[in-house]
Amino acid sequence: MGQQWDVDDILDRALQEEDPQRMDAVIARLVGEETMSRAAMLRRSAAAGIGLTILASPTAAFARSLGAAAAAPPQRGASIGFATILKEAKREKKINTIALPPDWANYGEIMSTFKKRFGLGLTNDNPDGSSAQENQAVRSLKGDARAPDVLDVGPSFAIAGANEGLYAKYYNRYWGSVPRAMKDGRGFWLADYWGVISFGINRAVVSTIPRSWDDLLKPEYKNKVALNGSPLTSGSAVAGVFSASIGNGGSLNDVGPGIDFFKRLKDAGNFIPVQATPQTIASGQTPIVIDWDYLNLAYVKAYPSARIAVSIPSDGVYGAHYCQAINATGPHPWAARLWQEFLYSDAGQLLWLKGYSHPARFTDMSKRKVIPGALVKALPSPTAYAKVKFATPGQLSRAGAKIAAEWPAKVGS
Amino acid sequence: MEAGRGVRLPLAWLVVLPFFLYAFAFMFLPAGKVLFGAFQDADGGFTLANLEEITNEPYRTSFKTSIEVSLVTALLGGALGFLIAYSTIRDGTPRWIRSAFTTFSGVAANFAGIPLAAAFIATAGTIGIVTQFLAGHGYNPYEHGFTLFSKTGVELVYLYFQIPLMILVIAPAIDGLKQEWREAAANLGATPRQFWRHVGLPVLTPSLLGAVVLLFGNSFAAYATAYALTGGSVPLVPITIGFYLSGDVLSNPHLSHALALGMFVVLAVMMAIYVPLQRISSRWVK
Amino acid sequence: MRRRFSWGAGLWLFIGAAYFLIPLVATLLFSLKSNETGQCCSLSSYGEILHDPAFWKTLRLSLILAVETIVIALVLLIPTVYCVHLKLPRLRPVIGFLALIPFVVPPIILVVGLLDVFKGSPSWFYAEPYGFLVGAYVILAFPYIYFALDAGFRAIDVHTLTEASQNLGANWRTTLFSVILPNIRAAALAGAFLTLAIVMGEFTIASLATFDTFPIYLQYINQNKAYPAAAVTLIAFAITWGAMLSLLLVGRDRAVQLGGAK
Repeated sequence: MGQQWDVDDILDRALQEEDPQRMDAVIARLVGEETMSRAAMLRRSAAAGIGLTILASPTAAFARSLGAAAAAPPQRGASIGFATILKEAKREKKINTIALPPDWANYGEIMSTFKKRFGLGLTNDNPDGSSAQENQAVRSLKGDARAPDVLDVGPSFAIAGANEGLYAKYYNRYWGSVPRAMKDGRGFWLADYWGVISFGINRAVVSTIPRSWDDLLKPEYKNKVALNGSPLTSGSAVAGVFSASIGNGGSLNDVGPGIDFFKRLKDAGNFIPVQATPQTIASGQTPIVIDWDYLNLAYVKAYPSARIAVSIPSDGVYGAHYCQAINATGPHPWAARLWQEFLYSDAGQLLWLKGYSHPARFTDMSKRKVIPGALVKALPSPTAYAKVKFATPGQLSRAGAKIAAEWPAKVGS
Repeated sequence: MEAGRGVRLPLAWLVVLPFFLYAFAFMFLPAGKVLFGAFQDADGGFTLANLEEITNEPYRTSFKTSIEVSLVTALLGGALGFLIAYSTIRDGTPRWIRSAFTTFSGVAANFAGIPLAAAFIATAGTIGIVTQFLAGHGYNPYEHGFTLFSKTGVELVYLYFQIPLMILVIAPAIDGLKQEWREAAANLGATPRQFWRHVGLPVLTPSLLGAVVLLFGNSFAAYATAYALTGGSVPLVPITIGFYLSGDVLSNPHLSHALALGMFVVLAVMMAIYVPLQRISSRWVK
Repeated sequence: MRRRFSWGAGLWLFIGAAYFLIPLVATLLFSLKSNETGQCCSLSSYGEILHDPAFWKTLRLSLILAVETIVIALVLLIPTVYCVHLKLPRLRPVIGFLALIPFVVPPIILVVGLLDVFKGSPSWFYAEPYGFLVGAYVILAFPYIYFALDAGFRAIDVHTLTEASQNLGANWRTTLFSVILPNIRAAALAGAFLTLAIVMGEFTIASLATFDTFPIYLQYINQNKAYPAAAVTLIAFAITWGAMLSLLLVGRDRAVQLGGAK
């Protein structure tokens, strides 16, 4: 059996390279070694020297020989060499991001890695902003040097933004390996990562871990179950209602059973209508939090005193993804494309996986066996995710309207 | 004096002009967006549908709840703030107490949002220190129907910035209640209650009214604290506006504008009640 | 003749102090817990905040913005309210009504409107917090400063003071600075306190206009960290209180005690 690499070691070695394709080759090699026999490893290192030179693609060499660079970035990332993108981005000197909380799906490390690796400045405005605020920033700050270059928004807002002409068309070189259901056919956005609704349990307060939506109704959980905000405004809360709905006889087209479930939860006295924040989680005020798996999993390490455990409800698995887009009128267009080229390489996707979220190219990467064993072990078992359902934007907006009409009366105070 | 007044009148208007210009540029123009937006539909055409919508449920409940919470915290906060302010100012109280309460009020008047909600959760939440103290002595308020995460809880928490606001605003007026009047009344044999009924309260009423209106407006516009405390389950109009304007689920900016217009109407009604009351009570002073 | 300390007053002061202090004590106890054990006592949360460069940078910016807002708002409003009380009493309900508008326009709509209105303005105003943000903050402070000044002017006899001053030969400037201002000192200070607190707590406008102020930093800590959130709450509280105390001292230095002010 080959050696087990530490994820940070793999990433460190990969990030020695500048070109994402070379980074990916390093990762593939190191992860491959995890399952390789010793003899095979020796054979491979002999061939390593030849292998690396093969990676230098003709397009890259050609681009390097170009004198002046193109003024406007192309629509297809693969049509020009990465070195050109990097050179133009370096000329722009920085990138503006918006609404990226550092503790959300490992964005903190993504941002600092990007800055360090490519030598660009990075500003992150309004880290707790909503998708609506991101689109609004594009509109309000149009033409201003502070406008955001790249956006990470929910699907309904991605579609609205694309229709409004806020985004630029761009097919990064990894576009093909992102599942069709997770990208915009016209090229305006594509999914970056997804997660499912889970229960985050504070084991210092709760001894038995609930494993399904039905479990939550048990009397031992009185005054213990909380959502992350209101489903009229919080993406994760709405997803919680979807998940409850699936687990109680409803479907993606009908969230009524989900709303009714929360009414039952409230009537039983188990639901506390407080917004779950780090303070309430660590203190134990909200010992069972219904939230994204990547957030709850991150809490495990963040709050050791709470001994957080994460369980994915067995009777209703609902997932949602966020979408990456480029501001059509952003001040640093090349840096924005560099951001996408990096994030969608295996190296970038692994950084998201390190944050416990499923990156968009997860299936492709699993098939190619380039995911380090340590990361696979850190996530809950794949069987828990097997039945995951995603809602279409149409279903989301219908659900939003139904929740807006029924939730205040049924679950509000 | 008469001749002088004729010359000085235009000068007075000139002095207030900068303020009105500023208010126009920084307040009217953006606020105008709200007014116009309320009458527009998604395509920019004129419509009354938004205004009609906000008179239905659940918006009607939002307005009712908002007005109720604001009235309760304005009146209660006003009364308590007045009593505390007077207690710090009156002769007989050491002077440092006034400075302490005044400066503290300055900070507390704007202590809101998640930090305030978190402080009260840590105090009176299901595992708050006061809750645990009472439970340890045999009375757990949560088993007797009390919960912080309710409309009552919101009112309790709102007082934390309403009372200090009242203290700050009413203190200068209490200062104006001259000490000599109190002593003169005492010398004439008036009881404290008679003093307040015939001198103190009439003099203070215009300022008290103004302060209560300010408290009402302050509470009416607040939302971050209530949202953090109740996860949005206590429906308040500013929270609902946020849902439709900057949330991750719903999007209907023109409905938000209509709701804001509704807030405007409520406050206009408040002012319409306040102005004649104030004029009447001012006559008591002169 | 100093009156005795009243037990009734003492009771209200005690209730007030208890209501205000207990939640702060609860926050303090929480902030002293260590992240590893969830028990008392550790100063690591405070250390985390105080060693964060973003804390100091945003704090400095917000304090400067607060001072700027206070100065501009007072310069704009004191002469206005004075004139209204002296000469234009019919305007009082008008301005009082205007003072309620900032409550009605949700900050989020205000900032979108302001960004729209001022989009073409020079970048030393539009792209700087010292310009654009202060412009918006003066409007936010306006209701509080106005009602405070209004109460203050009402408490003094404006007409008598002005006439007396002018009969003694003073011009407008002397009247305003040497006679009127000292008498409304308490009201102006109250307004200044409220403005300082507003600027140190205002989040929506700064975040949508993408400026990095102290409340933005506070919100980030509150949404992402547990024990440091309680620590930074108390630190912010202490700092704002300290700023108010210094405002009080500054005001007191120049005080000309003309009765009324205790």
